[in-house]
Amino acid sequence: MRAASWGALLLALAGLALAQTPSDDPRGVVGPPRGQPLQGAALETRTKQVAALLRCPVCQGLSVADSPSPTAQNMKAHVRELVAAGYDQDQILAYFERSYGEFVRLEPARRGVNWLVWIAPVAGLLLGVGVVLFALRSPKPAPTAAAGVDPLSLPEDPRLAAYMLKVRELAYGWPGGVPPRPESR
Amino acid sequence: MNRRVLVAGALVVLPLLAVLVMNLGRDPHSIRSPLIGRPAPPFELRPVGGGGPRSLASLRGKPVVLNFWATWCMPCLEEHAALTAGARRYEPGVQFLGIVYDDEEARATSFLKQRGSSYPSLMDEGGRTAIVYGVAGVPETYFIDASGKVVSKYAGPLSPEVLAALVREAGGAS
Repeated sequence: MRAASWGALLLALAGLALAQTPSDDPRGVVGPPRGQPLQGAALETRTKQVAALLRCPVCQGLSVADSPSPTAQNMKAHVRELVAAGYDQDQILAYFERSYGEFVRLEPARRGVNWLVWIAPVAGLLLGVGVVLFALRSPKPAPTAAAGVDPLSLPEDPRLAAYMLKVRELAYGWPGGVPPRPESR
Repeated sequence: MNRRVLVAGALVVLPLLAVLVMNLGRDPHSIRSPLIGRPAPPFELRPVGGGGPRSLASLRGKPVVLNFWATWCMPCLEEHAALTAGARRYEPGVQFLGIVYDDEEARATSFLKQRGSSYPSLMDEGGRTAIVYGVAGVPETYFIDASGKVVSKYAGPLSPEVLAALVREAGGAS
């Protein structure tokens, strides 16, 4: 029993010692590699992909992949090493985030309040589509009297009708306000 | 109807404008270093001009002032006198260390010969140490306490007053 508790203490101490592994060792920061070690063309492709997600800290809005600055080149070399060792994209981004903060990510990490940035545009678009659909489906106003009525009809009130005829006579030059009928042959 | 559209538009646009205005004039690069409060990343680097490698671990028990610099950097030139004087003043209770950032050893050697130095500068091949510390330009100075924890980071040229205050904060006797 006593031996067992001593053993547990030793294990705990060993754990502490492991937890104190140097923080420039990626294993101590993000754990063992989660992916496959890469080499050759696959290594270059993957390095470029991951470097494109890292902000060059000495540039203005450039990615590490796009910047020719020595700092970015050094970071890219570091990314290449990590990819070659089998670290996956999330691990590499987390590794650099530990030094530079979240600012080093060109895309906000999908977590916490950051989800707003990812979801809000899609939600806004869906809301907009919804509003448009709603507006299109809502009942149209009742057709007004103007539609579907013969433009040459006359009001029932004889005085009004007389005025209308007069106006047509003056405006269009129709004798008596009556349109000339096409002569039938 | 028009009023409703106006109100809805304002509800969408005003918060966005507020966010933009709030961050106006703020340098996105001047964010707090995530290293502060955490153990300083260890390193073992060769000094400029030769000699055995120096490691951070060997300095445990002493506050460390870690200055990233380069000969091509004008603000580094500006703060050089303050750092040299500071290193002399706080000796031997506080260890000052320079780390050459993206520069050639020959240039660093002649710079130090010309301007004088009172503490070692180390060569950071491949810029690995600068990356681990999150250096985003020079000069940047990290203040590490006796237990090896990063207490503060200062970006830009140090004045003697700021240097004294930050050394004191890191537990260096004044």
